[in-house]
Amino acid sequence: MSKPSDLIQGTLDLLILKTLSLEPKHGWAIAKRIQQVSEDVLQVTQGALYPALHRLEQQGWIRSQWRASETGREAKFYFLTKAGRIQLQKELAQWERLSHAVGLITMA
Amino acid sequence: MSRLLDILRLRIRSLTRRDRVEQELDREMRFHLEQQIEENIARGMNPGEARRAAVRGLDGITRIEEECRDMRRTNLIDDLLYDLRHAFRALGNNPGFALVMILTLALSIGANTAIFSVVNGVLLRRLPYPEQDRLVRIFTTNANYPKFPINAWDFLDFRARNRSFENMAVMTRSDVQLSGAGEPVRLTAFAVSGAYFRVLGLSPERGRDFDFRDELPGNGHIAIISDRIWHDRFHADPNIIGKAVWLDQQSYTVVGVMPSETKHPGNEYRAIPYGDSVDVWRPFTFQGNPNRRGSHFLEGIARLKKGVSPESAQGEMNSIMGQLGVEHPDNDAGWKVLIVPLYREIVGSSERMLLVLLGAVALVLLIACANAANLLLARATGRQREIAMRLALGAGRWRLIRQMLTESLFLSVAGGLAGSLLALAGVKVLVALLPGGFPRAQDIHINLGVFAFALAVTIGSGVLFGLAPALQSYRVDLQNNLREGGRGSSGSARHLRLRNALVVSELSLACVLLAGAGLLLRSFVNLLLTDPGFHSDHVVTAIVSLPNDTYKNDVSVSRFYDQLVGRLSTLPGVRAAGIGSDLPWTGYDDNLGGFEIEGKVHPPNEEFHARYHAATPDYFRALGIPLIRGRFFTAADAAKTPSVLIINQAMADKYWPGEDVIGHRINFFSDHPKESDWTRIVGLVGDVKDTPEKGAAQPAFWWPVAQVPFPAQEAAIAIRSDSAPLLLVNSIRNSVRELDPALALANVRLMDQIANASVSAPRFTLFLVGLFAVLAITLAAIGTYGVISYSVNQRTQEFGVRVALGARPWDVLRLVFAQGLKLALIGVAIGIGGALALARLLRSMLYQVSAADPLTFSAIALFAFAIATLACYIPARRATHADAMVALRSE
Repeated sequence: MSKPSDLIQGTLDLLILKTLSLEPKHGWAIAKRIQQVSEDVLQVTQGALYPALHRLEQQGWIRSQWRASETGREAKFYFLTKAGRIQLQKELAQWERLSHAVGLITMA
Repeated sequence: MSRLLDILRLRIRSLTRRDRVEQELDREMRFHLEQQIEENIARGMNPGEARRAAVRGLDGITRIEEECRDMRRTNLIDDLLYDLRHAFRALGNNPGFALVMILTLALSIGANTAIFSVVNGVLLRRLPYPEQDRLVRIFTTNANYPKFPINAWDFLDFRARNRSFENMAVMTRSDVQLSGAGEPVRLTAFAVSGAYFRVLGLSPERGRDFDFRDELPGNGHIAIISDRIWHDRFHADPNIIGKAVWLDQQSYTVVGVMPSETKHPGNEYRAIPYGDSVDVWRPFTFQGNPNRRGSHFLEGIARLKKGVSPESAQGEMNSIMGQLGVEHPDNDAGWKVLIVPLYREIVGSSERMLLVLLGAVALVLLIACANAANLLLARATGRQREIAMRLALGAGRWRLIRQMLTESLFLSVAGGLAGSLLALAGVKVLVALLPGGFPRAQDIHINLGVFAFALAVTIGSGVLFGLAPALQSYRVDLQNNLREGGRGSSGSARHLRLRNALVVSELSLACVLLAGAGLLLRSFVNLLLTDPGFHSDHVVTAIVSLPNDTYKNDVSVSRFYDQLVGRLSTLPGVRAAGIGSDLPWTGYDDNLGGFEIEGKVHPPNEEFHARYHAATPDYFRALGIPLIRGRFFTAADAAKTPSVLIINQAMADKYWPGEDVIGHRINFFSDHPKESDWTRIVGLVGDVKDTPEKGAAQPAFWWPVAQVPFPAQEAAIAIRSDSAPLLLVNSIRNSVRELDPALALANVRLMDQIANASVSAPRFTLFLVGLFAVLAITLAAIGTYGVISYSVNQRTQEFGVRVALGARPWDVLRLVFAQGLKLALIGVAIGIGGALALARLLRSMLYQVSAADPLTFSAIALFAFAIATLACYIPARRATHADAMVALRSE
């Protein structure tokens, strides 16, 4: 499950929003974090990540700011807006409903 | 909320700070790349290897960046700007093409806008009366008089008995001479009943309105004046109310001043059209015997109660009229009531004319669109290779369609802008050209609504004519086009079919317009060729009015006319000088009914009736109305001599068919006539119709001015001269002054002007429809030329080969003509068919020509065909010059 097209539609948004809910991060860090937390199962390519970030920003769920990264270089950090937090709750709920439903079928 | 603001801020930023945003995207990608390189080094790669691996990972960075840009959602605008630049460049490369397109569009959009502004002002704008839908005009009608004024006593009964109207009023024109406030001046004035202004929903800006008490005899010496004369004649005197003014040499007290926006609702009898200035209103007083109800001269106007329809009001009024017919069988039996909504009465016959013009100009626009589509298609065909190339390089088809539409919209907007400017000037010209008495001409302006219309037409036509080429580009066949190098492909065959269809429709629409113009032209020529019944050349006319007070009785009036005619006849250069009650074709329609013809009995419920006039001996000679039998009046037909009469041919035909009318007698006023009550017919004159387009003249008779039973306070002078009649005007004026310095000469006109004005409506329609038809056939010719010319270009090689193989120029010519004339034939056939169906709409505007006139239709078909042939001829000649060597070499 490495290619973004394999991700269920909209799941990438959920992963990004969830990742950003802890603290602001730049694109590289978001990708790394998803990879680590998923124990290398989920690898988000740049080709999927950056358009998704720009889309979320254009939708007003996240905002960006340039600040110094851990290495001292300027990086574009993204953080959740208030609307983004609400959106995250919605997406989480939806995800749980979906995975529960899938679970019911696969366990049956 | 804050989310929406965020979004807005971002969008604006990506539009306005494009460089900054692009830089940031670049930096973001670079940062990612460097992180990856560092990680790779940390894993143990050497720097070169680490960089290469990282770049590989960031495969297709342009695509990623492109996708990020897509997320900004400002592409539409970016693309639009790009497309506009592209369209501008493409058109700039071919300025002749662009100019033809923009010019034809400007002409047709401008014409549409100008005509629409007239339609908007005349038909769509509301009348300046509150709740205009409730206003109606009231007439009476019977077998003889389809639309007739009301009798005063009948009106009082209508008013007392009806339940349909909130208020009813009557008005009648009674002009006055104002003296004692500057030069004496003749003013348009109306006598109106009490609730007149309340019916219209208007009230004086100063002073008071009339009320019902003012209708009583003796209370009538009060007046309401217009804002105009209050300013012009009374210097806007703030204390005007209560002051006395001299009207017809009698003192009237001013009780009110109407506001400047007061509009006359228009009247029919001695007509003043809607909106023309009326300066004085006086109360109409009801006097006389309420049981004598034969005279009809009041015009009714009323305001319906809320929720009452004109139809139900007419029903109620008819039942009241029925009661009155029982109560007053002599006068009121056989009459009915006619109710016409005021709007309809004002707009009247102009509606059909305007809708015809709007239809005609819309056809021109359709042709211009077909033409534009045609020209764009020709270009798109030339660009097929470019389009195929771009498609192959990955351009989206939707993106290409949008680009083509941008180009067509660019053209239509340019055309629309130029057209709106044309319309601004055109409307002024149109209003100046409008036929005299055209309703609401003063309401015609270019306003926001008109501009909205122009905008809608502009966008609509841009999309319409851009769609065909755009969709064609969508269907470009990549393989064929790239392989064949864009020459003679199957795609262009499809193009050609579509373009042929466009040419056929252009030709057929142009035929419809040509046929309409042709019919109007024939009708107009018929009008001009119709014998008017008089000779208008070398005749000058004028109106003179005698104030009631100085000229109290018939004797003083007729003595004045007698003296005036005497003076006028002796002026040098005068061949004949006459005075009459009226002039031909000026809207006079005074009718007299109920007289008795010796030896005849009228059919039940249909009294004898005829137009009545008065004339001095030389009146007929001055106007050139021919004497058919008997004699004209002479000086011997005086007040005390036996009364005599001249009648017209129509009256002779109606009441004495096949008889010699001279010597027959009529009794006008007596139930038990003495010998002296009979009036003898001494002359028979030719017919003069009410207006030139009327089918027949009304029965009419003339009394000698010296014997006329009603004093004619206002009379028309007609003078025939040897030389230019206008040279006489000053001498005429002096002759009047010498007799009475207080009198003014009004309405000095040549009879030629009157005759001209009476055909101004058909001339106006003919002029515009003709103009549109010329525009239409020109566009159709351009379209035909374009298609044939293009196909000749396509077949240059073929023709070259044919010439090389021995074909003569004539053979090549025939080939080209065969193609062009086939289109022309189909187009003309469809056009004539459509015109035959549509010409019915013109029927009411045609005079002595059938809406399916074979002569017009065949002439039009031939003409359109000839134009199409001409349009084929130029490219066909080029084809005959096809050079065999050039053709073979390029193969």
